[in-house]
Amino acid sequence: MEIQIKELSKYYYTDGKIIKALDNINIKIPGKRICTLLGPSGCGKTTLLRCIVGLEKPDSGEIKIGDEVVWCNKKGINIPTEKRGLAMVFQTYAIWPHMNVYNNIAYPLQIKNFPKEEIYKRVKKILNFVKLDGFEKRLATNISGGQQQRVALARALIAEPKVILFDEPLSNLDAKLREETRKELRNFLSELKITAAYVTHDQIEALALSDVIAVMNSGYIVEVGSPRQIYFNTTHQFVADFIGRANLIKAIVKSQKKDKTIVDSEIGTFICQKRDFPVESKVILCIRPEFIYLKEDNYSGEGNIITGIIENLVFVGETCEGEMSIGNKRLMIKIESESSLKKGDVVNFVVSSDHCLLVSD
Amino acid sequence: MNSSSRNTVILLVIVGFLTVSPVIMLLFGSFSRGLSVSGAFTLDKYIAAYTDPDLGEIINNTVIFVFGSSLLATLLALFLSYLNNRTDITWKFLFRIISITPMMIPHILFSVSWVLLLNPSNGIFNLILKQLFGLKNSLFNIYSLGGMILVEGLLDMPIAYLIIAPAMASFDVNLEESSRVCGANTLQTLIRITLPVLRPAILAAFILCIVRCMASFAVPSVIGMPGRIYVLATHIYRTISIGFAIDYGKAAAIGMSVLVISVILIIIYRYLTAESEKYVTISSRGYRPAVIELKRAKVPLFFVLGLLLFILIVLPVLVLVYTSLVPYSMIPSSRALSMMNLNHWREVLKDPISILSLKNSIFLGIFGATIGIILSIFVAYTIVRIKTRTSGILESLSFLSFSFPGIVIGVGFMWFFVRTPIYATIWALLIGYIATYIPYGIRPLSSAFIQIHKHLEESSRVFGAKPLTTMRRIIVPLLIPGITSGWILMATMFLRELSLSVVLARPGSEVMAVQILRFASDGLWGRLSALGIIMIVISTSLVALVTFIGIKLKP
Repeated sequence: MEIQIKELSKYYYTDGKIIKALDNINIKIPGKRICTLLGPSGCGKTTLLRCIVGLEKPDSGEIKIGDEVVWCNKKGINIPTEKRGLAMVFQTYAIWPHMNVYNNIAYPLQIKNFPKEEIYKRVKKILNFVKLDGFEKRLATNISGGQQQRVALARALIAEPKVILFDEPLSNLDAKLREETRKELRNFLSELKITAAYVTHDQIEALALSDVIAVMNSGYIVEVGSPRQIYFNTTHQFVADFIGRANLIKAIVKSQKKDKTIVDSEIGTFICQKRDFPVESKVILCIRPEFIYLKEDNYSGEGNIITGIIENLVFVGETCEGEMSIGNKRLMIKIESESSLKKGDVVNFVVSSDHCLLVSD
Repeated sequence: MNSSSRNTVILLVIVGFLTVSPVIMLLFGSFSRGLSVSGAFTLDKYIAAYTDPDLGEIINNTVIFVFGSSLLATLLALFLSYLNNRTDITWKFLFRIISITPMMIPHILFSVSWVLLLNPSNGIFNLILKQLFGLKNSLFNIYSLGGMILVEGLLDMPIAYLIIAPAMASFDVNLEESSRVCGANTLQTLIRITLPVLRPAILAAFILCIVRCMASFAVPSVIGMPGRIYVLATHIYRTISIGFAIDYGKAAAIGMSVLVISVILIIIYRYLTAESEKYVTISSRGYRPAVIELKRAKVPLFFVLGLLLFILIVLPVLVLVYTSLVPYSMIPSSRALSMMNLNHWREVLKDPISILSLKNSIFLGIFGATIGIILSIFVAYTIVRIKTRTSGILESLSFLSFSFPGIVIGVGFMWFFVRTPIYATIWALLIGYIATYIPYGIRPLSSAFIQIHKHLEESSRVFGAKPLTTMRRIIVPLLIPGITSGWILMATMFLRELSLSVVLARPGSEVMAVQILRFASDGLWGRLSALGIIMIVISTSLVALVTFIGIKLKP
């Protein structure tokens, strides 16, 4: 079931100033896919999620879930949260401390007055699904964070909702558990073919989990696309900078070829991915550090060659991270951890034109 | 033995002496022949006390009174907490006033003001109703169990509020929101999620109210006794101070069961508060709870709030001021206005016993609270910072006096002091007060100590400050809010202390509340009101002054 959001705005008033939490948002969250709302804290992603579920009231616009309009200020429609038939996993899990695991999970069905045997069957099944067999009688406060997270997921799944909303569900887990749970969650969700809207500020989580990512910044949606599109082919400086890391270099478009664009940058001429900028316009060249490779002696490709001086290199385990300088400009680099390069070495690097992204200045 | 554990033992001896000795005296006294504690062993006192034909009715009254007023207090507090934390009601600062002012209006004066309003013979409100509707008989009779429950319930509501409101404020709103997402409406969420999660806090408030109602003496004596409705507290009082057959042993025998029940309830209370803290989950985001829009209910609910405020604070003061100025009970009218004079005030200010009681109470309030708070600082520090088994015992002991019904423990103290030269002096009262009210000093200070993270103190030491300098520059300034609130609490309680004082005060060591009770039983309402107003003015200005000093001293 898809979610359509049209011209949605929400303002906060503090100290006489208007803060646009959501600024004319238009987005279609596709059905049976995992869509992530990704952005830095304060970008409005959680507010958007809470507007969808009905816990926050927007100021204008329309929200449609499937064929049903759940909120529209013009038509005066405001379906209360409890009648929207959604499910949500909260950041704090919101496991009710006075109930055991069974009652926590059974709650959505109990509210809908399902027969007892049916509830029992369904809870058993879902407990098995989230690997919590035998936890029925445990008090919700006496289980670990990861288990609480799965109880919250089970509770969200039990009523077979049209849509599940996730509000940073992994941010309270430690790094290792977060990675495991992320993989599990991906499996659960793709198995169930369910529509999920997922809020996070963690780009790795977003890239790993989603079918679609919507990157948000200060109240508006910057770009929507598949993880690969967002990562490799973004058209926005903000996205390039926010997703992973990027060297941003000022450049001017020199000429347009059939499938390449050529620019003059602070650090020389680059052949880049094709973008329809007019010649002589100012652009930003984005190069991710992980795509700057050491040039091998027998290299004969068509990539851009950069010659720089190593300024510093730090061993961080999997790789070595550091900076090189080309004139006054410094670029972040990432090379293999067993490299014997050291500070002051003059080195040739190669960057393929496919990894030279141009975004508007 | 190092110095910190030696200090812990010293404190344990002091607090142990204060809390345990009256209980032991009470125990010995209840099993002893004659009027002292050292008589031969006997069960006669228990037999006499528990075969008293009146006891059945007294217990019945006590149960109805205690449960009724605790229920009223808890429900009112729940209603107010919900209104404050979960709705968009206007003027939320009023809730703070409601929760602190009862400290300034002593319980006995609050009870008296209701007697002046609703007594069947010449209660002002009854007189007005009679005149308005041409009634023959008074509509209301405050001298009833219902009247007692109403007044005691209103008096204990702030205590329940101070327990329930913070629990409701720290409630993780996600718990309610997730229930709504699951399809439950506001009412279902309230019943299935909000109230059950708050259950430990609500029960804790209810139990604390029960303990307080059992110990309450002002309402049963001012409202109950004229209507011949006796509860255990007034029954004990009657046994030791009215009539010819004064029998302390019999009173102690009854008092022992009251004490045991109180102690058990306080243990349950501590368990429940610990439980309720367990339920508090730290919400990671500062989302303010979605407040319920009251819409059309806003004005009526605000009216209810205003009425409560009026009843709790304005009305008692008004009634007392009015009564202190008119020569006898009459309906407020132009005639009453023309007859107003200061006669009652003159009489009170000429009355040597009233003046003495005033002096004694002020001394006990200021000096007693200061001693009490100094002791509390050491005890709180030991409890929070030195976590040994001895300090654990100290904590339990200091909590024990929470359950002390003043009139019961007063009998224990009396037996204790009677063998010392301080019997019948103001010092006996001072020691008794501190022993009974020490938890009220320790609690704000230990929460202040918990807030002062050990690292703050340690880093001062690391940067070269000596322990005393650290104390002066770091700890004391950070403690000031705790010290002020603890001092205010103790001073106001000492100024209005009644239940312990009725047992321990002797000619020469009278205090204000006892003098007011005496005026009440003599029906001298005008003088009572004048002295009462003086009492309110003194405690209010003490609170204001100390709050002001606290703000000035704040770093």
